[in-house]
Order: sequence, then C-alpha cells, then structure tokens
Amino acid sequence: MSKVLMKGNEAMALAAIKAGCEAFYGYPITPQNELPEYLSKHMALHGRVFVQAESEVAAINMVYGAAGAGARVLTSSSSPGIALKQEGISYMAGAELPAVIINVMRGGPGLGGIQPSQADYKQITRGGGNGDYYLYALAPETLQEAVDLIKEAFDIADYYRNPVMIAVDGLIGQMMEPVDLDREVPKWDLTPKTWVADGNRKNRERNVINSLYLDPNDLENHNLHLKEKFDDMRKNHQRYELVNMKNAEIAIVAYGSVSRIARTAIEILAEQGIKCGILRPITLFPYPKKAFHALPKTVKDLLVVEMSTGQMLEDVKLSNECHLPVHFFGRVGGIIPEAQEIVDKVLEIVGGEKHE
Amino acid sequence: MRRITIISGHYGSGKSEISANLAIQKKIDYLVDLDIINPYFRTRSLDKLFEKNNIHLVESTVKGMLGSDLPYVSGEGVIPFVNPNITAIYDLGGTENGVRVLIQFLDRVKDINEIDFLCTVNIFRPETSDVKSILQTISMYEAVTQLKITGLINNTNLIKETTEEDIIRGEEILKEVSKKLNIPILYTVVEENNNQSYKYIFLGERLVLTRYIAKRWL
Repeated sequence: MSKVLMKGNEAMALAAIKAGCEAFYGYPITPQNELPEYLSKHMALHGRVFVQAESEVAAINMVYGAAGAGARVLTSSSSPGIALKQEGISYMAGAELPAVIINVMRGGPGLGGIQPSQADYKQITRGGGNGDYYLYALAPETLQEAVDLIKEAFDIADYYRNPVMIAVDGLIGQMMEPVDLDREVPKWDLTPKTWVADGNRKNRERNVINSLYLDPNDLENHNLHLKEKFDDMRKNHQRYELVNMKNAEIAIVAYGSVSRIARTAIEILAEQGIKCGILRPITLFPYPKKAFHALPKTVKDLLVVEMSTGQMLEDVKLSNECHLPVHFFGRVGGIIPEAQEIVDKVLEIVGGEKHE
Repeated sequence: MRRITIISGHYGSGKSEISANLAIQKKIDYLVDLDIINPYFRTRSLDKLFEKNNIHLVESTVKGMLGSDLPYVSGEGVIPFVNPNITAIYDLGGTENGVRVLIQFLDRVKDINEIDFLCTVNIFRPETSDVKSILQTISMYEAVTQLKITGLINNTNLIKETTEEDIIRGEEILKEVSKKLNIPILYTVVEENNNQSYKYIFLGERLVLTRYIAKRWL
C-alpha cells in the first residue's frame, strides 16, 4: 500500500489493527480521543473487540483479563487517565501479562491541561505503579515511527510478557503526516502462549494468572525473575538515534516532538556555523545509556530539551557519568518550545563557556 | 464567491488552513470557527493574524480559552446570516457531530443562494480516497444539515511529499463526483512553495496556500 495522510491518533489505532490487536478497552480523554473513536468503528469492521469501559480503572482490568486469555490487547489514554491505570499496570507486570498501552501526554499535574507535554517521563520510566517493575517504553518522533513501533510493540509485549508503553505527546496524537501502514517491522521470536487461562484444559495443567505471592521466598524469586527480563531489555534492547554528530561541539538530548523541533534548531545553528548534534532516545526504558558512550570526542556539552521541568535530566546525568557539563531548557504547561529558543540556549552555552 | 462560504470536510482534510487562507486572500469580514471536535490546530489559534487582517474571529463564548476543550460556540456566529452586509467563512469541525453545530444558525438563512456549502477533499485521507466514499461523506453532511453541498475543494496532498500528479489524480476522482452531483470543483489547493513549479491548469480557482496553523517543524 502507498502512503496515506493520517492524524496521529488514527494512525496509531490502525497500526494496532495491523499488528493483530484483538481487543481494545479504554475511556475517553483529550488529546487521544480519535484513537478509541477510530477503533470503535474499525475494530468491529475487523471482527474484533472494542469496549468503552465505565472508567480507566475498569478498562485496564479488562485489558488484564483479555491478556490473561491470550489476546493481543491495547488500551490508550492521556496523562491523568494513565495515572488512574497504574494499579492495573502494576498487576499486569506482576502477573506477567503482555499489553500495549499508549499514553498521549498532556500537561499536568492533576487535570493539568489538554495541550502537549512530556511530564509523565518519570511515571513511564520508573514503573509507575507499586512494586519492582518497569515498562518497555518507546517514544516515537514521527507518525511513521509511531506506526512502526506500535506494530512491533505487540511482539515485544508478548516476548517479555510485560506491558509496553508507547509514550507520545498530544502533538503526535493530533498532527497529520503521510504514513505507510504496511512497512515491514522486525519480527520477534515468539513462543506459543502456553500460560494463558483461556478455558482450554486439553493436554495441560491448570494455568493460574496472579500477582499475589504470600511466601516471601516465592515473591523474592519472582522479583528476581522479573529483574532478569528488565536487565535483558537494558542489555540488548536500548534504542536511540544520533543525528548530525560528525564534529558536533554540542549535543541536544531530546525525544518525541521535541526532537523534531531540535532538528529545525540544528539547521538554524548550522547556518550560523555551529555544529550541533541530536541524541534522540527512542526507548525511554531501557534508557539508551550506550548512546552517550557513542558520542564523538568533539562534543563538549549536552543540552537536554524537554516539555517538562527536567524529568529526563537524572537519566542523562547517570548515563553521562559526570563526563560532560549538562544543561537544560524546558517549556511546560502545554507550551511547545520554539526552535529559536533552543538555538538561543545553544548559543548561550557555546558562547558563554571556554572549552579546552 | 458567494457572501457566505461554509467549509466542510473530514478532519485533516485541510478545512482550517483553507478557511484562514480564503479569509485573508478574499478580505472576508467574519471567520467563524465552529470546530468543537479538534482540541489542537484550530483557526481560533490565529486570532492575532486575523486581527491584523481586519477579520473578525468568532469562536467560543469564552474567548481565548484554547485549552478549554468545551464545546461552546459564540452566539455571534449567527450575525452573517442575519446581516446581509457581512461576508463570512464558516470553518466546521470534521465528523458528523462537527457539521451538526451549523444547524442552529440555518433557520436564519434568508437567501440560500448567498451560501456556498463546500466539501474539502484530500484523496490521501483514507475516508475520502475514492468516489464512493466521497459521495458517502457528502450525503452524510447533507443529511445532517439538510443543506446541499454546492461545490468541491480539491486539497489532495501529502504535505511536503505532494506531487503535481497527486493533485491531478485527486482531480480525476473529484471530476466524477462533480459529474454525479452536478456541482463544480471551485478551488484546487496548491502550497505556496510548489505554486511556481506546477504548470497544470487545475479545475477551479487555484488557491495558493500558506500553512498558518501547522508550524515549520511539523
């Protein structure tokens, strides 16, 4: 199929259908409403399940149930709604249930606003709910990348038996871009789901899906087993992109919509003779620590740009290991940084400090 | 151009950018933003641009509340229908519910011939990719409003990836729609960066579009 012009939320919904998503459970919230709206029509046309639940809490527990029965399942929401889902997400990580969760972030805290934001970074990258767990978290910057990553995300969720978070901001949800829905994406090596509770008891013992372990020894073993999965993600599945790094003297660290703006900023900087690269995390968990080791020696400063007050800073500092000075520029509350603001910040850094 | 132009079309078909461009190029008095569907990328975000161009912007009852997400429409929206000296463009929201907002004003219409009710089509939007789906969309808008679509806007584009051939393909499809419904293609939209390079004589007036709402990095 050739390219079509789609709105982010629609494209992400269709990508899930293409990935074989069999069930969606959700509850409306701006700025992701077109996603369930699209699925409310198209899941039925594909003979699949769509339920608008009575609340976010209900929706995520329906996701738990469908995942337990072996279905490929999706839910989506925006920041406050994702916060409501944390209990269910923690239970799913505990019970080792796969699902894809799309968070179209808006301003916070609390009800916040409906304009784009990246202020759920900590919630996304630190598990989010109670207990010792993480979500594999992907942060696309274009609709094409969102489509490709969502298609792969269902495989990743099944592979690790763990929820996968697609972290985008409202802008990616609302913007229009040409996309090819049928692009090949990497296939993960998946084994049959022998653990499901689907009522089929032929040739197997009873399967129990549960996150409750009353014996602390069992729970410790379970926690260590989960840790192995997260360590494997950290070791083998960090993703990032380095842009324009050849002879770059400074690198902007930015993901999602903000890296788009950074791309404009580095063009403006190039016109002024300043070589600026972009380190773009694609996985927020595992954090792409390897990218920082891959930076060329010419890079003397790091500038983190976010639509938050600096939630990613700690990860940058941990990955940077005190190697380079780390600077920050952020806009919050639904305000999108302007390319010129980033340019000004870079000029302030490269002009204001002596290197060597 | 008729005194009142109502722009309809599926969301993402380009209604808002087209409304803004037409209002500015044709020096229209009122731009009425009836979009209660989209939370982002609405004409009301261009308030300063309209002010500079002496265009009166009608939006929510609570002016300037871009982030309110409340389906308010100011009563001022009726003025062009009752005052025959005012020219206006109405920018509808996509979807059936977006079109429904218009109905509240229609019992004030004095002369139906003063109104153009246009449908914007981009054949790269999956919901309006062929003759059949475009006809379905149009008949849905007509059923909801009880108003006939009077013309078509060919806004076939893939943003920066648009080619002249794409627009011609859109025109071929819209020509069939035009023939079936006996309505003209009134405008063909061409982005300003491509205007000089497209030599083809498109049907209808060539509307050279400046993207005001989508920012440079989009």
